[in-house]
Amino acid sequence: MDIRSENVAGRRETPTYFVIIFLLLLVLMGMVLPKGARSLVTHMMIFCILAMGYDVCFGLTNQCSLGHAVFFGGGAYGVVFSILHLKVGVLPSIFFSLGAGFILAVIVGLISVRLTEAYFVIITAIFFAVFHLLAMDLTWLTGGDDGLSLKLPSVSLGSVTLSLYHPMVNYYFVLTFLAISYLILNRMARSPMGKIFVSIRENEKRVQFLGYNVFRYKLMAFIVSGVFSALSGGLYALTLRYGSADFFSFHWSIMPIVWCLIGGLGTLAGPWIGVVIMSLFQYYVSAWWTYYLILFGIIILLILRISRKGILGYVISRRLN
Amino acid sequence: MASGNKLLETVSVTMCFGGLTALDQVTYSIQEGEVRGIIGPNGAGKTTLFNVITGELKPTSGKIFLRGKDITRFTPHIICQEGLSRTFQLTFIFPEMTVYDSIWVGVNSRARRPWNPIILAHHAADISQKTQEICHLVGLEEKRNELASNLSYGDQKILEIAMALSTQPSILLLDEPTQGVSPKEADDISEVIEKLSKKMTIILIEHSMDVVLRLCHIITVLNEGRVVAEGSPDEIRKNEEVQRIYLGEIS
Repeated sequence: MDIRSENVAGRRETPTYFVIIFLLLLVLMGMVLPKGARSLVTHMMIFCILAMGYDVCFGLTNQCSLGHAVFFGGGAYGVVFSILHLKVGVLPSIFFSLGAGFILAVIVGLISVRLTEAYFVIITAIFFAVFHLLAMDLTWLTGGDDGLSLKLPSVSLGSVTLSLYHPMVNYYFVLTFLAISYLILNRMARSPMGKIFVSIRENEKRVQFLGYNVFRYKLMAFIVSGVFSALSGGLYALTLRYGSADFFSFHWSIMPIVWCLIGGLGTLAGPWIGVVIMSLFQYYVSAWWTYYLILFGIIILLILRISRKGILGYVISRRLN
Repeated sequence: MASGNKLLETVSVTMCFGGLTALDQVTYSIQEGEVRGIIGPNGAGKTTLFNVITGELKPTSGKIFLRGKDITRFTPHIICQEGLSRTFQLTFIFPEMTVYDSIWVGVNSRARRPWNPIILAHHAADISQKTQEICHLVGLEEKRNELASNLSYGDQKILEIAMALSTQPSILLLDEPTQGVSPKEADDISEVIEKLSKKMTIILIEHSMDVVLRLCHIITVLNEGRVVAEGSPDEIRKNEEVQRIYLGEIS
């Protein structure tokens, strides 16, 4: 019996063509964009990883965390500390950032994932506040607000030596990680594990009565989410070549939620749209109006008024009906 | 306490919510292969009994045994893995998942590594096949690609049963499976239950006497948290106290 319910499974699955077009555009744009725009797009791609990582937590298992700045900052400092103190190369430093994200997600997750809804939101917000304050105050360690600057060693892949100081190299370096992250997370979302995550989003209590230890699966999702957020933070530190307490700021907890809501919760690639819209908006509108955040809020409300599933969620549901 | 041939047994289970005693010294047992009914007026403690058995509530006192094993303090997911599964009175499904996927999740819980992050979900052949069998058994095969929230209420009730079945339980607890559905749908649902009753042990909570009298070997009557009568459908029909409870409820 060959039952392939693939094309209907989950129903929030991102259309593959969207992902391919998006990534191809990025590949092409890297070659033609002027310098300033290229750096903007590099940042966007880093945020896309954060948005996707956050989507695993919020979109797939319905855990609205306010603590992801902890993992973003942790990942950034994983890179900074390992390069400064351990003198490792760029690629190993990324492993340190993943490791930092993993450890922090286990610590925060073990305590907070037991709680649900508002209690979960509050305790993750508390974790964020504690880590932010620590990062600000322990200036001898973190450099506080001023941060710590990095000198990046060059990356050697076989016979090729690449320097991240070159904007083009940096661009494609980040793009590679974005593509790999998407492949891993998309595979996970379509695996048995992903199905269990989605069923937890749909009805957590029922999943328990189907014989699953819901806490364990929510923790798994939380950790996966934390690790990819840390990757994003690590890449951001590499791109900016410095890390500061700012990486723990509230901005990095709130923005992922906004990206996911605009782009489409639970679609993984949908939040990319959110990133693009918000980043362009922030870049261009903030230049001529100081209070651009007000406009920001109105646009978010409008998008969510049209479809609670966000932009990509709206497109998917229109296509199916 | 628990003897070998009893599949499920509760020993003087009491459940208090503050001052309210929802279950009062309920001792109840069911043997392999039986189909039992539980009836009683609203607030008699029927659903509370299910909640206590399935681990959602911990009883104030008393013990629960499944195959002689004390499951009183187990969490719901462990009890489910032990082979006890339930449905819910109000449909309790995955609204934005397809019928197929909803059942798939339950079947997958019995897999050796249910959390496998590497394979594609629909590539696990044995799980797909089992899911398909259950869709067929309950008659949802044609609607397997529908979203659960798009089903009619009657079909949602059937999906509810199918999801409980998907974990391959040895004992199935059904909480008012025909409540709130049309007579035609009620017939469909009792047909499904009748099919199942040949394969497994079932406890059925029902308001509709028709269904209970038709399907069950032994009926237990609960009132105000106590077992007031137990016997075959005929005995229950003739029992004076049962008549008083039911007539009293009407007047």
